[in-house]
Amino acid sequence: METIYQLLQTWLPNLPEPIMRLISFAVPILFVISVFPGIFAYTTLIERKALGRIQNRLGPNRVGRWGLLQPIADGMKLLTKEDIVPRKADKFTHFLAPVIAVIPSVMLFAVLPVGSGLIPVNLNIGILFVFAISTGSVLALFMGGWASRNKFSLLGAMRAVAQVVSYEVPMVLAALVVVMATGSLSLLTIAQAQSGGFLNISNWFVFQPWGFVGFVLFMIGAMAESARTPFDIPEAESEIIAGYHTEYSGFKFALFQLGEYLASIALAGVTVTMFLGGYNGPGSHLPYVGWLISMGWFFSKMMGVIFIVIWIRGTWPRVRVDQLMSFAWKMLLPMSIINIFAAALYHFMPSKFLAWVVTAVGLLICWWGLAKLNSDGEIKKRTYRYAN
Amino acid sequence: MGFLGKGLFQGMAVTARNFVGSYFDKERMVTVQYPEERVQVPENSRTFPFLVFDNTADHMRCVGCKICEEECPPQCIYIVMDRDENGKPLQRPKVFDIDISVCMQCQICVEVCPFEAIKMDNNYEKSQYDRFDDLVERLPDLLKSNEYYNHIKPAEASAVDAKLKAEADKKAKKAAPAKAAPKPAAPKPAAAPAPVAGRLVIPEDAPFTPEQRAWLAGFLSSAGAVAGPATAPVESAAVELPAVEEAAPDTEAAPAVDTPWHDPGLAMPQRMDLAKERPLADKLMAAMAQTDCHACGYDCRGYADAIAGGAESDLSLCLPGEGETAGMLEQLMKEAGKV
Amino acid sequence: MTTAFWIISAVTLLGAVLAVTLRNLVHCVLALILFFLGIAGHYFLLRADFLGVVQILIYIGAVAVLILFAIMLTRNVTGTEGPREVFGLKWWSGAATAAIIGALVLAAIRRDELSKLPTSTQANSSVLEIGKLLVTDWVVPFEAMAVLLTAALIGAVVIALEEVLRRR
Repeated sequence: METIYQLLQTWLPNLPEPIMRLISFAVPILFVISVFPGIFAYTTLIERKALGRIQNRLGPNRVGRWGLLQPIADGMKLLTKEDIVPRKADKFTHFLAPVIAVIPSVMLFAVLPVGSGLIPVNLNIGILFVFAISTGSVLALFMGGWASRNKFSLLGAMRAVAQVVSYEVPMVLAALVVVMATGSLSLLTIAQAQSGGFLNISNWFVFQPWGFVGFVLFMIGAMAESARTPFDIPEAESEIIAGYHTEYSGFKFALFQLGEYLASIALAGVTVTMFLGGYNGPGSHLPYVGWLISMGWFFSKMMGVIFIVIWIRGTWPRVRVDQLMSFAWKMLLPMSIINIFAAALYHFMPSKFLAWVVTAVGLLICWWGLAKLNSDGEIKKRTYRYAN
Repeated sequence: MGFLGKGLFQGMAVTARNFVGSYFDKERMVTVQYPEERVQVPENSRTFPFLVFDNTADHMRCVGCKICEEECPPQCIYIVMDRDENGKPLQRPKVFDIDISVCMQCQICVEVCPFEAIKMDNNYEKSQYDRFDDLVERLPDLLKSNEYYNHIKPAEASAVDAKLKAEADKKAKKAAPAKAAPKPAAPKPAAAPAPVAGRLVIPEDAPFTPEQRAWLAGFLSSAGAVAGPATAPVESAAVELPAVEEAAPDTEAAPAVDTPWHDPGLAMPQRMDLAKERPLADKLMAAMAQTDCHACGYDCRGYADAIAGGAESDLSLCLPGEGETAGMLEQLMKEAGKV
Repeated sequence: MTTAFWIISAVTLLGAVLAVTLRNLVHCVLALILFFLGIAGHYFLLRADFLGVVQILIYIGAVAVLILFAIMLTRNVTGTEGPREVFGLKWWSGAATAAIIGALVLAAIRRDELSKLPTSTQANSSVLEIGKLLVTDWVVPFEAMAVLLTAALIGAVVIALEEVLRRR
């Protein structure tokens, strides 16, 4: 936003002040509103086609060439469906839940740097804002489940809330290492800290051992936050029908999907910014076209992360809810705390190479140790108490 | 050596191979893009019946004997025999309707048809907009060529063709030396299907004297009533027609009697006229439809003998003959005092 | 006293009033969430952005969810069972308490001591400053709160463990 304001001041200084302010507000807002829901729509199509190809079948290819008009068809279908509210449901809460599901997800895009210097609002508490806003979607889960007056929806909502809340902790702690390394909470500063280096790539945090572990932990946490497989207990179709959004139809259901996918896309964007260098890539520092190239890098990296998330969805089975909780509290949380220690160690060691090696080895040992601690040993042959 | 998460990455490698392979390796994709492509149905799959014709649509194998109509469990077939202006039955159906919303695809009509005329199609794209009128298939829709039948069910159709050809050959061979007793062997053999590959009807305006006509009719039709080959065609169920029950003791089989009325082309009055001075069994036989279709469970001779001998009391079994035959049989029995 | 202050105050007060007057308990919690958002808005107005975001993170993300869980376990959530007394004894005692506390707070605000408190010398109370203060000047309260939270966590685990052990 400030960038546009400054650009306007240099190129069109004759405009009156309020108009310049208005334009500098309006352009990022329009950008976010038009680009990211478009990405959402085509992410649904990419997901279906990629899942199809993974499963040796074609995805949708009837509506428009290669299925390109499929999201429009889906949108029209959902808009024209009858909106059913259960008779004794809490109407106000039932109405409000999808709204509260979408609002935080859209607000996340306000602090995402899509290019060098291009961020809608440069909050100096950017990351904290991201986490604070994602807790808003927790409420939406609970409200959706409660308002449907359906015991299964409620169960799904409880499990969803438990899952989201427990995976927030390792996610925040994994993001903490990046904040420690950069010294700032602002996402733009974090992205800028990863510029430079060989081809603008070697400074990415993912290449540091603590950054790599942080990346893995943050990705896992992000997938659990947006309830994607293998953590899609909240909406597992084969288990609890549709969980907290069972009783929603038509556009409200579309809003839930919108909220979930937008959260997934936004968290992918945050992952890219924090660990994968954000908009940095070869050529993103050039004077005049740098901003365009950096935007290209950002979006391609974001789509790459989204593709990996979709790939994981097509591959891994769903975790059981108790396995999910034990994974978060017994495995990810200790790992994230150890990661903070490793990052601090890296920061204070004299030689960078030594620091890299020592922290890498240390993290591997801790990973192995935690795995051993959490494993139940060799699977023994089953013995029965009463049979045979 | 296994690290924590090794299985996860192996899984991802498999799906990556699937994903990349799906672009390059065409056999991997299991999608059949209907309606541009269709799944190849197996040969034995069946949907609804159709009628077979041999060379042109005039040479349909169906003679309108109505066996399939009677045997059909949900009664979805409706047949009306074609008759000429005198009321004489032409050996083909005028109306043949199958209601495919009723048909349960049990294939019983195929199993009981003695003439290999009705077979099961495998076309499943039968959706219509009107549930009642559009789902009734009428005669022009049902007639399909033998080449089509060979195309959809090659093994079955070639077996049927072989069987029909063998019977035609046998009939021709029997016709050569058969000056004598065309009748004798006819009713005796068990499981005698009486199919004729193409019914020969002696037209009314053919220049034959009545004696010549009688001889010709007897020669042609009775020669075809010789026991068919006991091969095992694909439609083996067609072979297990109810055996010609010769329970009646006084089926003397009258060997050397010729039957000039045994011509399906003759109308009822003419047939009765030809059998005027004959014993009751012959008159009864003349009243039948002369198709030897075995709808009644016998051939025409056998049914007549069974009725005359008292073994069979049901006079309405002659399906092709319909009410006319039943009425005549009753009348004859009444006259003979044997009701 | 800008317009933003009035608007945010109005929203906050609306949330507070609705939280005590609505019939359905879940609606009351939603109004409470609105109230928390209003308070976070006030924090932003006072340029304590870290505190505002933490308010949202903790109060709405954790405390409100906890209250919702607790409400789920109560009967009569919809408020339709049982008689609903509007101006009964409970109402009067609540109003009296609120009046007394309000008078005390108002008196405290109007006294002069309050205006003598040192105002913050920095323009922004950034996270860096808060962090530095927490580990230098205020380290004892910080560690005490950490011990308190750990004790609460261990207590929760112990309660849950008893049940697990009992069931096994």
